[in-house]
Amino acid sequence: MTTSGGRAVLGAGLLGGIATASGIALTATSGWLIVRASERPVILMLLTAIVAVRTFGMARPVFRYWERLRSHDVALADLADRRATAYARLIPLTPARLGRRGRADLLTGVVDDLSDVVDAQVRVTVPILSTIVASVLAVIVAALLSPRAGLVVAAMSTVTVAIFVLGWRLETRSQQTLLAARSEVARVTALVAGNASELQAIGAQGQAQSWLVTAHADLRRAAGRQSYGRAAAAGLLLLLTAAGTIAMTAAILPGVGAAISTPVAALLVLMPIALGDAFSTLPDAMRALARSQASAVRLHAMLDQQPAVRAAGVLSLDTQTDPQTDTPSGMPSRILVSDLTAAWAGTAPDVGPLDLEVQRGQHLAITGPNGCGKSTLLAVLARHLDPTGGDYRLGDDDALQLELGQARQVFAVLDDEPHLFASTLRANLQLARPGSADPDLVEAMTNAGLGQWFGDLALGLDTVIGSGGRGVSGGERARLGLARCLVSERPVLLLDEPVAHLDHTTAEAVLGDLTRSTTERSVIMVSHRPDGLAGFDRVIGLSRP
Amino acid sequence: MRPFDPRLLTQVPATRKPVVALGAIGVVQGLATIGLAFALTNLVVAVVEGREVVTPGVWLVGLFAVRALLAMANELVGSWAGLRVSTVLRERLIAAWMGRDADSRPEAGRAQALATQGMTSIEPYVARYLPALVSGAFLPLLAIGTLLLVDWPSALIVALTVPLLPVFAALIGHTTEKSTQRRWQALSALSGHFLDVMRGLPTLSSYGRAEAQVETIATVSRRHRLATMQTLRLAFMSAAALELLATISVALVAVTVGIRLANGAMPLGTAMLAILLAPEAYWPIRRVGAEFHAAADGAVALDDVLGELAPTPSRPNTADRAFSAVEEAETRDPRCSVVVGGVTYSYPGAATDVLSDLSLEVPIGLTVVTGPSGAGKSTLLELLAGLRSPSAGTVSAPRSHLVTQRPFLAPGTVRDNLTLGNDSTDDELWDMLREVGLDGMVAALDQGLDTRLGDDGFGLSAGQRARLTLARAALSSAPLVLLDEPTAHLDEESAVLAHHLIQRLAELRTVVAVTHRPELLALADKHVQLLLRPTATLAEVRA
Repeated sequence: MTTSGGRAVLGAGLLGGIATASGIALTATSGWLIVRASERPVILMLLTAIVAVRTFGMARPVFRYWERLRSHDVALADLADRRATAYARLIPLTPARLGRRGRADLLTGVVDDLSDVVDAQVRVTVPILSTIVASVLAVIVAALLSPRAGLVVAAMSTVTVAIFVLGWRLETRSQQTLLAARSEVARVTALVAGNASELQAIGAQGQAQSWLVTAHADLRRAAGRQSYGRAAAAGLLLLLTAAGTIAMTAAILPGVGAAISTPVAALLVLMPIALGDAFSTLPDAMRALARSQASAVRLHAMLDQQPAVRAAGVLSLDTQTDPQTDTPSGMPSRILVSDLTAAWAGTAPDVGPLDLEVQRGQHLAITGPNGCGKSTLLAVLARHLDPTGGDYRLGDDDALQLELGQARQVFAVLDDEPHLFASTLRANLQLARPGSADPDLVEAMTNAGLGQWFGDLALGLDTVIGSGGRGVSGGERARLGLARCLVSERPVLLLDEPVAHLDHTTAEAVLGDLTRSTTERSVIMVSHRPDGLAGFDRVIGLSRP
Repeated sequence: MRPFDPRLLTQVPATRKPVVALGAIGVVQGLATIGLAFALTNLVVAVVEGREVVTPGVWLVGLFAVRALLAMANELVGSWAGLRVSTVLRERLIAAWMGRDADSRPEAGRAQALATQGMTSIEPYVARYLPALVSGAFLPLLAIGTLLLVDWPSALIVALTVPLLPVFAALIGHTTEKSTQRRWQALSALSGHFLDVMRGLPTLSSYGRAEAQVETIATVSRRHRLATMQTLRLAFMSAAALELLATISVALVAVTVGIRLANGAMPLGTAMLAILLAPEAYWPIRRVGAEFHAAADGAVALDDVLGELAPTPSRPNTADRAFSAVEEAETRDPRCSVVVGGVTYSYPGAATDVLSDLSLEVPIGLTVVTGPSGAGKSTLLELLAGLRSPSAGTVSAPRSHLVTQRPFLAPGTVRDNLTLGNDSTDDELWDMLREVGLDGMVAALDQGLDTRLGDDGFGLSAGQRARLTLARAALSSAPLVLLDEPTAHLDEESAVLAHHLIQRLAELRTVVAVTHRPELLALADKHVQLLLRPTATLAEVRA
């Protein structure tokens, strides 16, 4: 958070403190007023107190309103900053540090974590600051009226801190278990709800429901443990209020009628109750704190990773482009890899040592079991991951010495979850090559096997797809990803299990469209399924290193 | 939207206990709160008038202890009840969808959203909003009733002003409804943007377009902030206005009490009690409003799920259908376990029929269905399996096991997947694997039957998948086995094994297979050929 943001939060906390203190003062001065009135003084004697009560009564909602506006505005400003910053920090980590599968869901988690962390300002920082401000004011006022009363209020505030810490620790203890149980329920639910027909077909409805029952039982257990912290805090705070009231009564009783007037005595006896009321927001703050801390830990673990590539290269790519032919520009004469090793983390190689040569226009498929390093190899070729040893050449150039952006521009990467943005079809395709003309986009779609699909769209390229737009099937999505690769005019296609999520028939159809439309280009595909490889010039099998 | 939908309790009886428990705690809490006002008044009066303070002190501590226990119970029961209701609803929802055909379920994306986030958002609705609703309905009445006994003029003032709160809130809500709705739409579009570019980061990054988004994110976030603040300002303003209204109402009570007190027309204790009781009539109502704001998603989800759970008589449930179908089948020719009578089917919203007026009797044994692509072969199998209900005509068929062209494999072990829909022992699994020629492959895996399949496990080829799911079909006890292109991806050697297994199944059960393989057709006891109708072109586009 920036300094100005920090000051703004402090300001909101102060406003909240005034609102909370007004509430406490309202109760306390009302008590004073009633007792004083019962002594039947001249009405003028009460005027100051009446004005005070009225002021406190008005101040509470007004300052609360002001505080809420301020704190939410600060939080939203902070959220805007953090979103842009987190996004910028994720770019060099993409895709190598985002894991192999389910990247989109992982990134959704980042969005939620950012919201949780920022939420803590509104739900944690401001209420705690408000409580502190109000407590300090209460201690001062009570001490001025009677030093022993001041002591009681101070003691009460101190014990509150202890209760807060206790509750927060109980809440934090089971936070991870609870989060894991929640995500398991979400996973099972999505699996069952998304495959209802298939489960019905094989008569596995009962088993599917039992998965859910098991996941729910775990969640209930975890949530039950989690709620002890809040329950303990809520109960203890009320007991503290009772103890505070009794302690206050005992503390002032000897002085009532002497050093302490009876109206002031009423004010002081009511004070712990009013204070306890103000503390009742703390269990919620505690819960939000535990939650945002868990989110912050996850967020840091994600954002603090080292990029998988050092952008040290400076050379330009030496390509033999002939504008007269159809050969896509920027195509290196060959891709050559010798004695290559690479690792995602640590020193144990995830792939290699490996030798590989792909000539211009060749189609190569690499198959092998999970863990044999297919994706690692692809990440090295795409310059998403630095090799740990060996040689990697694009044409005659050392690929590692090339300027990173240039080296990456050689490759169009297609995986099994190409994202469709909530925008027009045109915008979704143009992002691969800004400024592409409409006919080029349509041609790419036709080559990707989407000709008939596109022909049925009433709005053509202006059709809105993605979330909230027209629904797109798995096969259409894979083909749109392919169309994007074609629009990009990048000379080498790297395919990372592009059809992993498709049924066999659709997968074969997509791969057929793919090989037909990329005769001009080099294609390297990795797959853990040894089928659908008819259109490839070479198939090599990889085994675990 | 209604404050509480009683359908929750009538349609899902399992939710009654949690809701009643929360309500009971709320009522007892209200009683303790009123009791505390008495104890506190007695304590203050005792201090002021110099009487003994021990008795009111003990009462106060005792009542606070009760309230502490209730607060703990409220947290524990609230959390339990929230989860209990949301999980029961989720289980009921999944069970309802599982018993319904494909055309009467929401599509997968919407179903997943409702069953996951939707049901989770019901937790705060139950845990926080419902208790607030109970105390909002009960505590004001209790406070006014008590006031009536203590000091009727104060009771009158409170009784006249309390209804202003909900009226005022409704008035604010009504006048701002349109602009709020418009803003919410704008807001959800703006807040969706970040999620969209975030999920698309790998795609943007691979085309070198990610850096350009940083500035866009900042711009859109700024607009999001402004739009949100506009909405929030209104919400906070109305909350403040309600609080002010409550404060003014309490002040009215205080003024009348004060005047009578200063005139000596009222004892201190009564006055104190009136001042302490009056606010208890107002804040519970304000809390309902605040909690409803937080539980609005839950209210919408609850409405959706109750709609889904409402009985739909138009579409028969597969379980019932299978049951009645067996009985019906027994009264007919015992060799014909499957009878299709004049069935027509069209996809919802489609103008043309995939199948029209099809009648068929299928005896025990192997029936092979052939026909050009788009003739409705897969649809016929889905109708026989009860996954779809005919638009016209009748299907009567016993319990079935259908192997689709894209059979379900769960992210789990080989054993988990083989035992879906049956409870075979390991020995039976190995026997069956041997029969489809997969025993060697599975035995060679690191962990045998415990090897995990799927994204983070062992990848199966299409042929291996086909054989595994055929083995699963054979393991099931369903009297009707439906196979959609069971051997299309198999090499000759595996196909011979698979065809042999299919033939063995057909000795005791009714087997219907869609295939292009002449070898399988040669084994058939009955051959059904579906012809491509003029209408079938549409089916082909959809397939």
